[in-house]
Amino acid sequence: MDPVDAEILQRIARFDPPPADLDERVLFAIDLGSLEAEVAHLAEETLAGSGARAAGERTRTITFDADSRSVMITVVERPDNLVRIDGWLAPGAALQVDLRQPEPAPLRTVTADATGRFVFDEVPHGLAQLLVHGDNGDARVVTPSLVL
Amino acid sequence: MSDVRLGTLLERARDGDRDSLHELVRELNPVLWRVARGQGLTAEDAADVVQTSWLELLRRLHEIRTPRAVTAWLITATRREAWHRQQRGRRDLPDGAIALDGLADPGPPPDQRLLTDERDRVLWSHFARLSQRCRELLGIVAQVARPDYSAIAEAYGMPHGSIGPTRGRCLAKLREMLLSDPAWGA
Repeated sequence: MDPVDAEILQRIARFDPPPADLDERVLFAIDLGSLEAEVAHLAEETLAGSGARAAGERTRTITFDADSRSVMITVVERPDNLVRIDGWLAPGAALQVDLRQPEPAPLRTVTADATGRFVFDEVPHGLAQLLVHGDNGDARVVTPSLVL
Repeated sequence: MSDVRLGTLLERARDGDRDSLHELVRELNPVLWRVARGQGLTAEDAADVVQTSWLELLRRLHEIRTPRAVTAWLITATRREAWHRQQRGRRDLPDGAIALDGLADPGPPPDQRLLTDERDRVLWSHFARLSQRCRELLGIVAQVARPDYSAIAEAYGMPHGSIGPTRGRCLAKLREMLLSDPAWGA
């Protein structure tokens, strides 16, 4: 390859580089204890709330679909700069749900009610990932990491 | 990265070595990012699609035996997921959110103001006129020192052996446009 071609390719490589946190997000997402989990794909994301983005009014609803189950969450901004996650599993089941955040944040665990509803409150902003445990041989379901 | 090195990392990752898996991620992420962006996804969607591909790979790591296969598998999974994401469209965004989210990538970069370098600006103006296939292909091969043409061919459904010549034609075309543009000079 001559210098002209080399320069062209070098410059093209610098156009639109991956975001600085792409590696971090991927590494966090795949650092689950076990690899055996169904992957829930992001299916839909909606933003709602005042255009002025007043604290406490802005919410974001995200739906992840896996083969066995869907996970829908609404992320609500709290006035104290933390968030609340209202979640819903469909089909509903009283399953254990984990919220992972990067170290040193501890793993949070809740159990959904029989209709599949669950809540994580006072969650700090940042990377997070949900893991829904299986029941009676059902597969575990894992979401991609998202930035709260 | 050589096939041998990639193969070693793959083998160690399969045996549960996290460091090797992490090195694979760092090595292949730039290519996967280009693949997702080349399908016209926003930056946020592209980042999401790339990590979904890695999560899917983890479940199938034991089925993938060769370094070539791992590259091809990831590129294919990323293209497929990007395509699905694209089909779902932007219907779920409220008013004004599209502008905030950044427009889909017609080819990089999304913001001309980022191009402070005059030669970058000139190159971009010509690059944008290439075919979609040329932009995708050059964007991918520009990311890696020694592109694995057969893996790319497999993932893009192109005949083996056609990637090298296609890349050559795309690059020659771009080069011709540039050399006849006084703003590029030299």
